[in-house]
Amino acid sequence: MAVAWIGNRETLVERAAAHAAALLGSSRCPVFSLDTDIHGTRAAIALAERVGAAYDHAADGAALSRETALFTDKGAMTVAPGETRRRADVVVIVGELPQIHHEFVGELAETVPDLSAKNQREIFLVGSKGASAPPLNNGRTATLLSCGEASLGATLAAMRAQCRGRRTSQPVSNFDDFAKALEAAHFPVFLFSGGATEGLALEMLQGLIADLNRKSRASGLHLPANENGWGSALASTWMTGFPLRTGFARGFPEFDPWRYDVARMIAAGEADLHLRISSSIVQPQKKKNRMALIVLAKTQEPIAGAAVTIAIGEAGVDHEAVVYSSRTGSLRSVDVRAASELPSAATVIRLVASHVSAEAALSC
Amino acid sequence: MLTKISGGDIIDPVNGRLGKGDLWIRDDKIVAAPAGGAADRTIDAAGCIVMAGAIDIHSHIGGGNVNTARLLLPEQHAAHQARPATTPLSNAGWSTFQTGCLYAKMGFTTVVEPAMSPGAALHTHLELADIPIIDKATLAILGNDDFLLSMIRDDAPSKMIEDYVAWTVASTRALGVKVINAGAAAAFKENVRTFSLDEVVPSYGVSSRKIVKTLQAAVDSLGVPHPLHVHCNNLGSPGSADTAAATIAAAEGLPLHLAHLQFYGYGTEGKRRFSSAAARLAELVNATPEVTIDIGQVMFGQTVTVSSDVMRQFSARGSAHPKKSVIHDGDGNGGGIVPYSYGKDFYGTMQWAIGLELFLLIDDPWRVFFTTDHPNGAPFTVYPALFELLMSREARAETIAELPKSAMALSTLASIDREYTFEEIAIMTRAAPAKLLGLTDRGHLGVGVTADIAVYRRDENIAKMLGQAAYVFKDGDLVVQDGEITHYRWGKALRLNPSPDKAMVRRLDDYHQQRYGLSLDWFNFPDSAIAREQPFGEVACRM
Repeated sequence: MAVAWIGNRETLVERAAAHAAALLGSSRCPVFSLDTDIHGTRAAIALAERVGAAYDHAADGAALSRETALFTDKGAMTVAPGETRRRADVVVIVGELPQIHHEFVGELAETVPDLSAKNQREIFLVGSKGASAPPLNNGRTATLLSCGEASLGATLAAMRAQCRGRRTSQPVSNFDDFAKALEAAHFPVFLFSGGATEGLALEMLQGLIADLNRKSRASGLHLPANENGWGSALASTWMTGFPLRTGFARGFPEFDPWRYDVARMIAAGEADLHLRISSSIVQPQKKKNRMALIVLAKTQEPIAGAAVTIAIGEAGVDHEAVVYSSRTGSLRSVDVRAASELPSAATVIRLVASHVSAEAALSC
Repeated sequence: MLTKISGGDIIDPVNGRLGKGDLWIRDDKIVAAPAGGAADRTIDAAGCIVMAGAIDIHSHIGGGNVNTARLLLPEQHAAHQARPATTPLSNAGWSTFQTGCLYAKMGFTTVVEPAMSPGAALHTHLELADIPIIDKATLAILGNDDFLLSMIRDDAPSKMIEDYVAWTVASTRALGVKVINAGAAAAFKENVRTFSLDEVVPSYGVSSRKIVKTLQAAVDSLGVPHPLHVHCNNLGSPGSADTAAATIAAAEGLPLHLAHLQFYGYGTEGKRRFSSAAARLAELVNATPEVTIDIGQVMFGQTVTVSSDVMRQFSARGSAHPKKSVIHDGDGNGGGIVPYSYGKDFYGTMQWAIGLELFLLIDDPWRVFFTTDHPNGAPFTVYPALFELLMSREARAETIAELPKSAMALSTLASIDREYTFEEIAIMTRAAPAKLLGLTDRGHLGVGVTADIAVYRRDENIAKMLGQAAYVFKDGDLVVQDGEITHYRWGKALRLNPSPDKAMVRRLDDYHQQRYGLSLDWFNFPDSAIAREQPFGEVACRM
């Protein structure tokens, strides 16, 4: 089975890696887009430093950037998923949550908090009229809190105002039920994600949570827009001090969520080389400009338009991996599901890095 | 390879070696002078002092809360001046890579991250594994977790509690156990806002004191070398000296370590009702031989407080500077990240002076440990300046002259003449930490121990001398020369490995399945997850 290609021609992994390294070495503005596990991310960041690249998440860079901005700009009150399951007697789903979290929401609807004196859980949904919650088990439905067509941010602002006893131009639907539930609640938890929620709405939500904590307890459960993406953000933060959208153009890490928005850099024609790392199968991309493309992906054929394609295994399927788990709110080790010969992203990236420069004092 | 460190002033109080001499290293160990005497490499240490590598017992260098602090404060890095990128990630500000390099340059070769949440053990170890050069270790946090509090409430046999503590230490690869404001994080979840040693956690009816005593006994009877590491209640409050005094009294003959005592050295005298109680606490420590303490010295400037004492951090968030914070209710403790700037105002001055008073009034350098509770009192990069303050009363007098007299009037610092000697520094930062942590292979320069060695060129400027080591060896590798990193290597995380009781593992699997809807596998990890050749080094429990 072929595992590496230069253009459309099959080649040895070693040669493909050397060619990728040569392209990286001659690139003036390389960008990396990542969708990989922790060790793939660590290897990619070490390579990015070596070649002066910027990096971002492949598909959910914008959503993850809204989530990191909440922390870098405002701060937050958050709670662990385990505590949410065991303690939350009121659960408020804020806006649309990514599909990956629907199972957990269903589980919250099915269970009752065992560490709460109140042996039940009420569920609310904040969104515009017609918004739908993830499917809840036991035939339950979430009570909708909305201000008609108003945005999520505006609805949260109205909720916050009404909680403080202020009047709003348009009242929040079912607010009395919500107020009553809050009054009786011991530990309400708001589920949020940057997936479909604007940055200011996330801040407004934190304002509401802070208000509630003046007299009683409440917190927010961060359900990241993308689990691999949040894992990469964490690894980037410990390795460089900064989350995703960090670049090494000047030889040291600089965090700039606008400048190093990799999708923007590609669209604007700033990048002259794109290294795409994805342990899942990548759809061939249509080539738009002269930018060179290197793809590391689980594929059996060369990616159309890529100067170099190297096949890698899927983290936690072909090889063991460490990934972020929103179910535990931390990193988790995942065993192999169907061991294969395919190398991990980290292995291939290190191989590429070994061809970039011999002065490597410390490989990651 | 045989290396000779030649003609340095050796300061090795454990082995009674003080004065000019040679030190020999073969590969990764210190050896006796060989009969033939031909070294493959000779390091000229004339005009230098030679000590064992330093050990920091309490420094928040990695894990979930530390990483959240990085995430919260990207602007903290702007102050780091860019330098040519000659080594991988060497310019990465407050990163894991920088942490290892900065410690090594000062001659530190082992650092303990004192607050690992058991649920985030894998995350913590991955960060520690990315800290180059030095060895690391962690303490696992217990004492706010439902499993333990329920066992205490239900009067579980002490054997069962010990099994749980042993399982936690083994599965999280910890070197010891820490309790942080015992019971308060659990109480805070039920909307309790202040919590003292004899208050009880709602829903459990268990007092903070009972939690501390239970863990202290379990740690002792399991033979964990490091005594229970206690972060007391009421950190930072005026009058917290009473809490510290009560906790010291609660040691009751069994070993107990109190972390960052400076933050409890506060009395209620003066018109601001905030004064130094350092002399009182120092006297208590001097009179209680089973108690050890570290200081958590405050130094002036911007920093960020990172603590699993979520109740205290919640109450401190109003003083955040810059004005943002993260408060996290975790499965056990959680944590709070509150940036803070220590100014040379009344309060900052009091805190600075109280830390130094404790250092200087506690007589026995074997029982007082050198920390700033990095980054809570100050980043560890201030260590050279702090050594200077301890070793020179002149340096102290110079700083005191710049500080508010109203604050200094409530402290005895100005009247203390003591200056730490190099011998005392070697005990406080080398020999005593190794003893306290049960690390028999380091902390001194005896034959057969690991060749962790720091060589400092003598200089009148103590901060310069101790801030940039002339040579540092880690496991016999020369890693620092003239204050610069010359060689990268990966250290290990030192851990205990008690065998977990099978019945306890089954019990915990059931518990996780029922309460979290997840099997225990979700929380365990194999050593291979760290992706390093030898991520861990094993330390033996006391028999």
